[in-house]
Formats: sequence, structure tokens, C-alpha cells
Amino acid sequence: MRWMRTETFAAWAFMAPGLLIVAVFVLWPIIYGIPLSLTDYSVIGETHYVGFENYVTAVQDKSFLTSLWNSLVYVLIVPFIQVFSILMAILVNTRLPLIKAFRAAYYIPVVTSMVAVALMWSWLFSNNGVVNYILIQLGIIQEQVGWLSSSSTALYALMFITMWKGLGYYMVLYLAGLQGIPSELYEAAMIDGASRWQVIMRITVPLLRPHILFCTLISLMGAIRVFDEMFVLTQGGPGNATLTSSLYIYQKGLEQFNFGYASALGLIVSVIVGALSIFVFRLNRRGGVSY
Amino acid sequence: MNKAMEHSRSNAMSSGVIARRLKKTVRYTVTYILLLLLALLMTGPFLWLLSVSLMPGRNVFSNPPAIWPTFIDFGNYVQVWNYMNFPKYIMNTLIITVLGVVFNIVLSCMTAYPLALFRFKGRDMVFALLITTMIIPSSTAMIVHYLTIQWLNLGNSYLGVVLPAAVSVFNIFLMRQTFQGIPAEIRDSGKMDGASELRIWWQLVLPLVKPGIAVIMLLEVMAFWNNFLWPIVVLDDPEKYPLASALTYLNGQFSYNFGWIAAGTIISVIPIILVFLFTQRYYMEGLAGAVKG
Repeated sequence: MRWMRTETFAAWAFMAPGLLIVAVFVLWPIIYGIPLSLTDYSVIGETHYVGFENYVTAVQDKSFLTSLWNSLVYVLIVPFIQVFSILMAILVNTRLPLIKAFRAAYYIPVVTSMVAVALMWSWLFSNNGVVNYILIQLGIIQEQVGWLSSSSTALYALMFITMWKGLGYYMVLYLAGLQGIPSELYEAAMIDGASRWQVIMRITVPLLRPHILFCTLISLMGAIRVFDEMFVLTQGGPGNATLTSSLYIYQKGLEQFNFGYASALGLIVSVIVGALSIFVFRLNRRGGVSY
Repeated sequence: MNKAMEHSRSNAMSSGVIARRLKKTVRYTVTYILLLLLALLMTGPFLWLLSVSLMPGRNVFSNPPAIWPTFIDFGNYVQVWNYMNFPKYIMNTLIITVLGVVFNIVLSCMTAYPLALFRFKGRDMVFALLITTMIIPSSTAMIVHYLTIQWLNLGNSYLGVVLPAAVSVFNIFLMRQTFQGIPAEIRDSGKMDGASELRIWWQLVLPLVKPGIAVIMLLEVMAFWNNFLWPIVVLDDPEKYPLASALTYLNGQFSYNFGWIAAGTIISVIPIILVFLFTQRYYMEGLAGAVKG
């Protein structure tokens, strides 16, 4: 059994269990979704091959189109997340006393479960809730707004919750980027008489480019796949105001057990996400500096 | 005249120093005000929830909102604890979390090890395959996972809850990065002594990658502790739910009893916040390091 002592055998033996799990739970869903989407597979009745019928139904399905639109609107949080978390990272990138405690405090929403966060904000956002109280006190609004119960504001309220929960995460990633920028660059700029704002726009942001690309891609994926917020808080309502594509796919697939149709919807969304990612990559490729 | 010039110069200098100090003080003050306002925005909701949970009978919608409780009473905690069998849900959460974390550590250490340090046929192919799975977004994953788990007869079991997330490609890459920092001499010396590959891995190499293992452990503890949707999908029996799933259930049953839900929510978030606070240095460095890779 000499072959058992080779490095190749050992390598595959080490990898076998992990690769098996990857094959079954990462690779298989990608592959199996395609044939599944061409059938009417569900828990009841026989399964038939239906060709592209699911796709034809999908493009005429008003709820699905609404959910796609809502998911695209949700992507609007991506630039806001980058701007706010970069500013936060700049703010905490000092050696002032207690700064680590502040960083930890901003990170707490990241580590708590979305269920807890969502329950909390559902009260804060209610008619008699804290948000309305503060905004009325500050004179920003005159009367109570039903943030989550009105179809014109519900999606934006959820977007706020998503952002609030995620900012600390991106702040830490950007902070790592900031700490990799040599301090001589800042000192040189200061000597040349650059203002703080100029330093941020001309030095910090260009040098953070790889981090911006990375964070933009993750937050983009996160925004399109957003699910927990609406699942706990609104179930897509009022009306279809907060119905996003992930929630709709879940409802079709795992509440109504319409596996074939849900797979078709999932593949359409995957293609859109892929296209958006490539777009972000291209956008980021243009120009760029290094040190 | 000479003296007068000198005098005015030193005057100008000291006023320059004062101006600079003043500027510095102003900047520190502004920085701290911003830091505090942001801290209020990020932790205020939790403090408010804690206040609400500690004041039974007090309306969550009372104005002005209470960030600090005016009195403390653990009535909500006692009642919700008696109603909801928390020890059981905490136990369920622990089982799922421990299973998930152990699977992830063992599998990613085993899979990443040869990818980082061995020379073998097919290495580039495996690597390319893993990268591809990271790029292709899958929105149908949960549906196929459900079908697979049913087909494996793992419905309503903790193995079914954990298995789809038993190893992530991200963790494999993270460990590969860590293993690559290990000098080849270590494996060579083990081989000279005639140790088996498994023993070299377990006794010589693994002790050197503890920091990487710690990062995976922390990330996965949080992921499994907070996961609520997949357990609801897989487990038919609500008695088997982890805390986060049970909380959605409690909310559905008693959406009017704010004090109870507030107390239940606080009970569910405190362990994870404590874990984070005690390990934050590791956690933040690990997270930042993982992204560089």
C-alpha cells in the first residue's frame, strides 16, 4: 500500500470531509437550482418538466416585480453605509483615552441577533414610540409618523435598522484600512498646508479603495439578500411595501412549498446580483492609487 | 531696539502656543461630543430596552423615554422565566452553537491544511472551485438545503440545523492563510521522526494556528447563537428551538406583553454581548486580518 503514504493521498484524505460538505451544501444548491426551476416540483402532486413556464410566470408576477424593485431600492443603503462607516472609522482612529470602549460600543448592534434588534426597533418606531417623541421634540416633524405601518416609510425604516446594525462592522474593516496607511503621508500633507477635509478626500479615500470595493460588495450582497428585518417586523407589509425578493422566494418556497417556482425566482435574482457585482468591480477598476 | 524685537517675537510665539493648545482642546472636546452622541445612538436602544424590562407596569410608550430606570424590579424576568422554560432554550442554543463551532473548526482546519502546505495533484483545481463558489451568489440555497436535509432524514434534528453551515469557504480561506505562515521545517522535522501526517497535523501544526482557530470560533459562536430562521425551517418541534427562534415565537404569542418580551430579549442578548466584550481584542484584530487575506 505504498500509494497510501503519498502526499497526494494524505491531502485528499484531509480534505475529504470538508469538501463533501462544501459539495453538498454550497455547490449542489447552485447546480440543482437550475433543473429544479424547470419543474413544478412541490410537496403535493407529481412533478413535471414545465420548460420555461416558471420564468414566464415570474416576469408577469406583480408581487415578484414589486419585490425586485424593493430589493433594488434597498441597495441605496450601500453608498450611505460606506460614507458613514468611513467617517466613523476616521473618528475612532485616534489614541484618545477610552477609544476602545467607544469602538466596542459601536460594535454591539453587530453581535446581537436581528430578532432582538428588530423587536426593539419595532417599539422605538411605533406611533407613541421614542423616535417620534424625539423628532417632535426637536421640531423635525409636527405629528406622529407610523414609520413601520405606513407604506411610504416602512421600507426606509427597515433600511435604517439594517444600517444601524451594520455600521460597526464596516467601521472595523475601514479602521484596519486606515491603520495601514503610513502616517508620513498625513504629516506631509499637513506640512503642505492641506485642510482636514482635503486630507480625507485626497489621501484617505483613494488609499482605502480596496477596502471600499470589498465593503461595497459585501454590503451590496447583504442589501439584496436582506430578509430577517422584514421577516420579524413586517412580513412584507403593509401591502407589499417591504416585500423583498428574498422574503418572496422564502414565502413561495418554504411557506407555500412551491419549490420549482421559488428556484426560478432565485436564479433570476442570482443573475441580477452577479451583474451588479461585476458593475461595482468595473466601477472600482477605473483609476486607483497605491503607496 | 534689539530687545524690543526679541520681546515681541517671544510674545508672538507664546500666543501661537496658546492658540495651538486651544485648538487642540476644542478638537478633543468636539471629538468626544461626537463619540458620545454616536455611542448614545448605538447603545441607547439597548439601555432603553433594559430600562423597560426592569420596570414592570411601566409603558414602553411612556414619554419622555426612560434611558435610566427610575426603579428596579425583576418581576418581568421572573414571570417570563417561569413561563418560557429558558434553561431548555439556552441548552438548545448551546448544543447548536457547540456543534456548529466544532464542525467549523475541525473541518476548516482539515481542509485548509493541505491546501496551504502540501504539493499534490488537483490542488489548483480545488482552489479554483472554492473561489468560484464564493463568487456565484445563490438565492436558492435555502430551498435546496431544505430538500437535502429532508432527503437525508435529518429534519427536526440538530444535525440538520448545523450541517448546511458546518464549514464555510470563507473559514477555509482564513485557515489556509494562517497555515501558510508555518515554516516548512516543522513538517519536515516531524517526518524525520517518522510521525504520521495525522500526528504532525494534530501535535505539531495545530498548536501554532490557535489565533486563527480563535477567530473562527468567535465568528461562528455569534453566527450560530443568533441564527433563528434555519432552525425554524428545520425543527418542527418548537420545544427544540434555540433562544433566538423562541423569541420570535414569544413575540407572536404575547406581542402585547412588552415587559416580558423586553426581558426575554435582554436574556438572549446578554450572553453574546458578554462574549464579545471579553474577546473583543481578538475579535476585531481577527476580523481585520481576515479581510486582508
